[in-house]
Amino acid sequence: MENRPVLSSTRGESSLRKLGKSFYGMFSRLFIRDRALVSVLEEEALQTPGKTIFKNFLRHKLGLAGVIGLILILGFSFVGSYVKPMDLSYVETALRNIAPGYNYLRFPSQLVKEGVQQISSGISFSVALSNSGKVYVWGTQPAYILEGVSTSALTIPPEVQNAQIVQVVAGDRHILAVDAQGKLYGWGFNNFKQAEAPNLLLGKLSSKKVAMLIGGEAYSAVLFEDGELFVWGSTMSNRLDIVPEAYQGHIVKVAASPHNMALLLDDGTVAVTGIKGNAFSDVPRNMQDGTFNIVDITASYRAVLALDDRGKLHIWGDNEYDILKIPEFQGKVMALDAGKNNLAVLTDAGEVLYWGANHYNQLDLPQRVQKKKHVEIYSNMFQNYAVGADGSISAWGLKGFIFGTDEFGRDLLTRLIHGGRISLAVGAISVVISVIIALFFGMTAGFFGGQVDMILMRITDVVTAIPFLPIAITLSAVVVGKVSEMYRLYMIMVIIGVLTWPSLARLVRAQILLEREKDFVLAARALGVKQHNIILRHILPNIFNLVIVSVTLSYASSLLIEAGLSFLGFGVAAPTPSWGNMLQGAQTAAVLEYYWWRWLIPGLFVVMAALSVNLIGDALREAMDPKANEK
Amino acid sequence: MLPGYQEKGDGLRCPLSFGMAQIILDNYGPGKLPKKEAPVVLKYIIKRLISLIPVIVLVTILLFALLKFMPGDPVRMMLGPGLKAEQYKAAEAVMRVKLGLDKSYPEQYFRWIGNTLSGELGWSSLSNRPVKDAISEPMRNTVILNIFVIILELAITLPVGIMCAVKRGSRFDNFWQVFSLVTYSMPSFFVALTLIYVVAINLQLLPPGGMPLTAYGKNFAYYVSWLRYMALPVITLTIISLAGTIRYVRNAMIDALSQDYIRTARSKGLAEKVVIYSHAFRNALIPISTIIIFSVFSLFSGSAITETVFAWNGIGQVLVKALLNRDFMLVSAMNLFFASLSITANFVADITYGLVDPRIKLE
Repeated sequence: MENRPVLSSTRGESSLRKLGKSFYGMFSRLFIRDRALVSVLEEEALQTPGKTIFKNFLRHKLGLAGVIGLILILGFSFVGSYVKPMDLSYVETALRNIAPGYNYLRFPSQLVKEGVQQISSGISFSVALSNSGKVYVWGTQPAYILEGVSTSALTIPPEVQNAQIVQVVAGDRHILAVDAQGKLYGWGFNNFKQAEAPNLLLGKLSSKKVAMLIGGEAYSAVLFEDGELFVWGSTMSNRLDIVPEAYQGHIVKVAASPHNMALLLDDGTVAVTGIKGNAFSDVPRNMQDGTFNIVDITASYRAVLALDDRGKLHIWGDNEYDILKIPEFQGKVMALDAGKNNLAVLTDAGEVLYWGANHYNQLDLPQRVQKKKHVEIYSNMFQNYAVGADGSISAWGLKGFIFGTDEFGRDLLTRLIHGGRISLAVGAISVVISVIIALFFGMTAGFFGGQVDMILMRITDVVTAIPFLPIAITLSAVVVGKVSEMYRLYMIMVIIGVLTWPSLARLVRAQILLEREKDFVLAARALGVKQHNIILRHILPNIFNLVIVSVTLSYASSLLIEAGLSFLGFGVAAPTPSWGNMLQGAQTAAVLEYYWWRWLIPGLFVVMAALSVNLIGDALREAMDPKANEK
Repeated sequence: MLPGYQEKGDGLRCPLSFGMAQIILDNYGPGKLPKKEAPVVLKYIIKRLISLIPVIVLVTILLFALLKFMPGDPVRMMLGPGLKAEQYKAAEAVMRVKLGLDKSYPEQYFRWIGNTLSGELGWSSLSNRPVKDAISEPMRNTVILNIFVIILELAITLPVGIMCAVKRGSRFDNFWQVFSLVTYSMPSFFVALTLIYVVAINLQLLPPGGMPLTAYGKNFAYYVSWLRYMALPVITLTIISLAGTIRYVRNAMIDALSQDYIRTARSKGLAEKVVIYSHAFRNALIPISTIIIFSVFSLFSGSAITETVFAWNGIGQVLVKALLNRDFMLVSAMNLFFASLSITANFVADITYGLVDPRIKLE
């Protein structure tokens, strides 16, 4: 700073300044400027083009919003896919088409105050009866088409609220309750009349006392105190409604699965009704011949757990998720219960023990739950509740699905994360392919001209003449079945890339034709710069802005193209998710009308991604164009 | 022609990417191109036609290769089931000769071209009749749909684009800028699904999709039902095509307004209306003419996605159905049709662009 020349008027004590500071100040501001003289480069405040573009870009609010949006989306799908890994082969049809909700375990605090008498869970909701006889329901409405027959499972009918309820139970999508007078109430999914008592049952209800209510998958059952069992609802396939006469009047407890019912009889043996020939119905002989005196049973979907009077546990069924391996524990078994794919045991020490499947954290007991002493456990479907000795309730297991589930019960959030990764990658790679081809064609044609230009531009014309969507669909239809799923993904990238390059190639060629005539190219030629260096080092940087902008914009359209192809079923194929093929279900009216989250949410993600990229592209174009501000 | 006429996802009915439009206008808009003498039009047309020949040959060879590459045996598809083994063998041999499949690929290619030129498009296994008959009704439906779309599109985009250019930077302009950005980022099926969900399912104003019934004769109610069934697809396609076109018209108009002759006109004291509509707009029409020409040609091109979503029995839906059912004769006939449509459209746009703008050097 010291050796820099400064204006003479400001050096030392100026006499002018003494005469009148204000006058000088005005004068100098007008003509001289009261500041240090700077070198030419500083005076001009030169900055690199990159810096200029960056500064211009920062001024563009919509562009910044686009950057933030894109970062969020990239983070969502790329970081998210590490946080939330996906098992492509895992489906859970019991959880199909559930609306977004994250409240499956959010029981009302009133219930704790009143004390729990009973808790039972359906697929996405739970019902509880408090000690003061009030019924509570929480969770998310399981999706079913409400067409007069069915009512919401979450709204308790007013007559239930007024009645003196003594027992409640949840089926997979419906709820049953019975009051002290033996009147049965039902609400929720009722397409098989499982939520209302049939005439045959009404008579029995008025004459006998109900011992136990059973809610199954689309069926219901009532066990009377005299040991009689009555089953109704959707029993066409499993024939659970046929209870053999030999068992009637001797049944003490019932454990239900979708296809079978395990019956505990008063002589301490176990019998199974329903579909024959599976591991569930294959009751071990020693359970039937009186070797053991069974006192309690419970059943997951594919396994039965029985407790004998000596405190020993017996188990049979399908060894899915290692459910047949009872973990070691100490103490006496106080209670048994079972979720869909897991079993639970409560010991006399108040300890709770869970084993089986853990897809929805059913086995991950919170730390504080493990320490507590418990008096009762309620395990149903994917939700687990444990009541402590102090009356508190601990809940764990399936909390819900923020974005709902699809037709196979897959979590939409996980599929959106992984689908986003694939959609974004397919778009990006196809754009890279398209840009490489476009740059090659455009630059070669533009620079060499003549015959080369003629031939290359005719090829460009050919590709332009090919109607994009029909050919893209045809190509991917041809590719189907010939290659593996992974190759199909690559093929789609190539198809999109190979069919979208002509516009950029034309643009590059035209731009190069303009640049080629400019003086700096002539100068480079005169200096003897090699031809490929002229192209790469002199001309290419000048069209770079143009390329960047159009790459950004065509990335957005690639995203849309992929979504469109997959939507029609010619793009990324299931089970690999992509935002486009997640929307495919929306082609059926039921999905469109009732399961809105299945098309709206992936659709919004596509729009968000494309919009972010378009905003960035638009802002970039303005930032790179020095004349943009005049417009 | 204007480079960079980009398609957007849904069939041919798609305006250019608006970012591209800006770039194109910046570089090739009115006043940007070198001023040259009037061209020798006829010579130019002939020259362009000659240069089209290799393009047409290459495209047809490509489409023919695609047809040959498609899975499935056309003979088997035509014969259908229900034949005994010996009968089938005999029938197959006859059919193979009849279809010319016993000849070499070049011979088959020329035969295919000949058949196509004489209107023999093949046999559609999907609808079990000649391709020509199978696509005539969908074609009519598509054209009817597109007429409405194009009228609506031009009726909205031209005034809005001009207003945006004249009132540049105003709230009106900003609104349409954001609107076009948002709609441009929407896949057509998303617009369609949202419209069905809101208008057809929740408000129950219009049918969610399908074709009007023809059973009750052609009275007034019949035409009303046509309009009702067409409304949602027309709105969808219009929204989709608005975005790019509004930007294009706006930018063309801005370019025209920034020319010297506009300043001259203003300095002469002409009324602003005269300046805008008579001086600026006429010149902006030159790039806009491209859009109009493409619109006219896109009359015949169905939009695969939108028609499928609305179950509109148009050419786009037929294409998707044919592909799903492996009716490849129909597919290849339609691909050929679309390709020739796009070649012709490009050619006409090219010629017209040169004709309406005398400054452009046709070489």
